[in-house]
Amino acid sequence: MMKDPGRLRRAAVLGLATLAAGMSAFAVSDARAEYPDRPITLVIAYGPGGATDISGRSLAVPLGKIIPQPLLVVNRAGAGGATGAVSVRDAAPDGYTMMVSRVGTHTVNPAMKATLPYKLAEFEEVGVYEINPVACAVKEDSDIKSMDDLVAKIKAAPKTVSYSSSGVGSLLHIAGAMAVREFGVENPVEELIHIPLKGGGAAATAVLAGTATFICTNSSALASFVANKQLRPLMVTTKEPVPGFEAPTAADLGKPNLHQLVGWSGIGAPKGLPAEVTEKWRGWMKEATSDKDFLETMTKRGSVIQLMSPEESAAFIQKQYELFTKLVNDLGMRVEG
Amino acid sequence: MNVFDDLAAAWPLVANLESFLALAGGITIGVIAGAIPGMSATMAVALTLPFTFAMQPITGILLLLGVYKGGIFGGSIPAILIKTPGTPASSATILDGYPMAEKGQAGKALDMALYASCTADMISNLSLIMFAGWLASFALSFGPPEFFTLILFSLTIIAGVSGDSLIKGLLAAVFGLLLATVGLDLVYGTNRFTFNDANLMGGLNFIAVLIGLFAIPEILAYVWRPRSDKGQIRALGEQHVTFAEYRRCFRTIIRGSFIGVFLGSIPGIGAAPAAFLSYSEARRRSPNKKNFGKGELEGVAASESGNNGVAGATLIPLLALGVPGDVITAIIIGAFMVHGLQPGPMMFVANANIIYALFMGLIISSVLLFFIGGVAIRMFRYIVDVPKSVLMPAVLILCVFGVYAVNNNVFDVIVMFLMGWLGYFMLRNDIPAAPFLIAFILGPLLEDNFRQAMLMSNGAADILFRSWITWFFWGATFLTIAALVRTGLRQRSEAAEALRATTSE
Repeated sequence: MMKDPGRLRRAAVLGLATLAAGMSAFAVSDARAEYPDRPITLVIAYGPGGATDISGRSLAVPLGKIIPQPLLVVNRAGAGGATGAVSVRDAAPDGYTMMVSRVGTHTVNPAMKATLPYKLAEFEEVGVYEINPVACAVKEDSDIKSMDDLVAKIKAAPKTVSYSSSGVGSLLHIAGAMAVREFGVENPVEELIHIPLKGGGAAATAVLAGTATFICTNSSALASFVANKQLRPLMVTTKEPVPGFEAPTAADLGKPNLHQLVGWSGIGAPKGLPAEVTEKWRGWMKEATSDKDFLETMTKRGSVIQLMSPEESAAFIQKQYELFTKLVNDLGMRVEG
Repeated sequence: MNVFDDLAAAWPLVANLESFLALAGGITIGVIAGAIPGMSATMAVALTLPFTFAMQPITGILLLLGVYKGGIFGGSIPAILIKTPGTPASSATILDGYPMAEKGQAGKALDMALYASCTADMISNLSLIMFAGWLASFALSFGPPEFFTLILFSLTIIAGVSGDSLIKGLLAAVFGLLLATVGLDLVYGTNRFTFNDANLMGGLNFIAVLIGLFAIPEILAYVWRPRSDKGQIRALGEQHVTFAEYRRCFRTIIRGSFIGVFLGSIPGIGAAPAAFLSYSEARRRSPNKKNFGKGELEGVAASESGNNGVAGATLIPLLALGVPGDVITAIIIGAFMVHGLQPGPMMFVANANIIYALFMGLIISSVLLFFIGGVAIRMFRYIVDVPKSVLMPAVLILCVFGVYAVNNNVFDVIVMFLMGWLGYFMLRNDIPAAPFLIAFILGPLLEDNFRQAMLMSNGAADILFRSWITWFFWGATFLTIAALVRTGLRQRSEAAEALRATTSE
C-alpha cells in the first residue's frame, strides 16, 4: 500500500505546516481581537462616597474578578458629572475607557442644560444594571398626608410650597416638578419654589429642617429617615411597592407616566464601541450582577438590580430622555446658563 | 434598660481583638493617607469602605472612624514639615506650624499638634455622648438664613489671619472670592468664567488651589534662590512640648475643641472653617498676639484642636438624625446601611448596644490616636533633616501626584501650578494666603445660603432676621467689626502721637 512513503511524508509535513500556519494565523488574529489585552479604566463622573460611586465600586468588585485584565476605577467629578462624561466621550471607543452612566449624566443633564458640552447620542450603553425607585416625602409632622393634599396646598397658595433638590439640572429638580404636574399642577415652575442645595444629603436635610416642604428623590436616600419616622413618604414611582415605604405606588394612584421617573446606573462607553466589546461586556455584566455579595449589598441600600441588554438599555435611556426633554420644553425648565 | 445595661451589653462588642485591630489599623491608614498631600481623609475613607462590607458592623464602622480621625491628624504632619496641608482641614496649621519648623522647632510643633488633636478628639467624643440629642435639634434649626449669618460672622476671621496689613488681607480675600465663582452657579446653573470648557465648569478644585497656594510658592522661592538657606540647616527639633507649655495652651485647646464641636454638629460646614475660627479666636485673646503667624505654639494648638474637635461632633447629626454632615459621614452612613442599620433616633432604641459600642470605641480611638500619632511623628520627623535640594523636588513630585489623584485629571495639576505662581506673587509682596483660602471656602457658602434664603422668602429680606440665631450672629458680626475699627483707630492715633513726639523733639 505504501508505495511512496516520501509522498506521504511530504503530505504530512504539508498538512502539519498548513495546520500550524492556520493555527498561528488564528493565534495572531486572536491576539489582535482578544479584548481586553490591557487594563480597562472605569470612570465615575461623581465624587467618592456618592450614590454613583458606591454603585460603581460595588459592581467593580465582582467585575474585577471576571475581567481578565485589571479594572481601574477612577473618580472624575465636577459640573454635575459633565467633566467626567466629556473625558469619556473624548476617549477612543475601544472598550478601554468605560464609565458608570447615571440618570444625571445621561438623561437629566442632556435634557435640561442648554450649554452642556456633550450630547446623549455621543455615548453607547452596554447595560443598565440598577434601578432606584423615586419617592416623594414630606416631614412627618406635616399636615400633608397624600399627593392630593400636596397638590391642594400648592393650588390654594401658589409660591408658598417649596421642594429641595441636589442642584439645578439634577434628577430631584425634574422629579419634584414632574410629580406634582402629573397630579394636576399645570405650571409647577411658576407655582412651586425650587430650592437647590449642595448634594442629595443636604436636600433631604432641608425637608427635615423645614427649609423645604417636600422632596422627590431616590428611595435609598430617604430610607433611613422614613424608617426613623422623620419623613413621611407620599408616593413611590415604581409599579411595585418599595420595602419600608408605606406609600401608594404610582400604579395605585393611576399615574403610569411616573414609572419612567426612576434613577438608574449602567455601564456606558463612547459611541462606536466594536460589537465584540459589547458582547464581552454583556457576558461580564450578566455574571457580575448575579454575584451574591453584590446583590445583597445593593438590595440592602434600596436598589433594584435588574440587568438590561445593550439594546434594552439604549431604548430605556432614550425613552426617559425624550420624556424629560418634553417636560423641560413644556415647562420652560431649560437651564440656559 | 438603663444606660448601664446598655453599656454592659455593648462592652463585649468592643472588647475584642478585632475591634482594637480595626481601630488601630484604621488610624494608621488614616495618618499615613492624611500625611500624603492630595490624599485626603475623604478619599482614604472611601477607599476603605469596600473592605468593611465583609466585617461585623461594629468592626467595620470603627475601622472607618479610625481612618477618619487618623486622617484629620495626619494632615498636620506635612503642613508643619513641608508647608503642604495633607488635608484641607490642616491648612490653618501651616500658619504657625511651618514657621516653627523653620526655626528648628518641628518636633515641638508636631508634639503640640498631637496633644491638641487628642485632647480635642476626646472632648468631641464626650460631647457626642452627652449632648448629641440637644446639639442635633439645635443643628436642625439652622436653615439658609442662619447659615448666612454664621458665615458672615466667620468672614471676620479674615481680619485675624491677615497679619500686619488688613488691606492686603482683604485684597487676598477678594482674589479668593473671585476665583471661587468659577464654575456653574448653584441656583440657576449659570456658567461663570468657564469659557465653555468642561473642566472649568466643575470649578477650581479645592485641593489643587490649596496645595498650589501653600506648597508650590516655597518650591518656586527655592528654585529662584537655591542657596539662600545654605548653612542654615534646620535642626531636627528634638524638643518636646513641656507640661507648662501644654497648660499655657490649655484654654486655647478647650476653646478650639468646643468651636469644633459646635461647627461639626451643624451639617455642611466642615473642619477647615472650624480650624480657622479657632485660630483667629486664639489670636484675638492671646497675650502673644504679635507672635501669631511667626511660629507661635498656641497657634498650632488652636488650629489642631479646632479641626479635631469636628471629628466626633460630625457624628452627632449622623447618629441623632441620620443626617450626614460632610462627605466622610455620608460614606459612613453607607457603611451603616450595608449592614442593615438605619442611623437616626430609632437606632438609639432598636440598636442601642451598637450605639454604645461605638461610643466606647470612639473613646478608645482617642487613646490609640495618641500612641499611633506619637510613633508617626517620630518617623516623619526626620524629613526636616533632609537637605532642601533633595526635599523640594520630592515635595514637588508628591504634590503633582497628589493633585492628579484627586480627580485623575491633568487640568487640576495645571490649576495647581497657576495657583503656585499666584501664591509666589503673593508671598513676594507679603500678601497673606490664609484670607484667600477662607474667602475661597466661605464665599460660595455665603452666596448659596443667601440665595436659598431669598428663594424661600420670595425675595423678602426680613427672613435674614427670622430667628434668635440670626440676631445672635448679626450682633456678633457688628461687635467684631466695631472692635476691629476701634483697634485700628487707636493704633493710628498712637502712631500719630508717636510721630508727633518724635517731630517735637
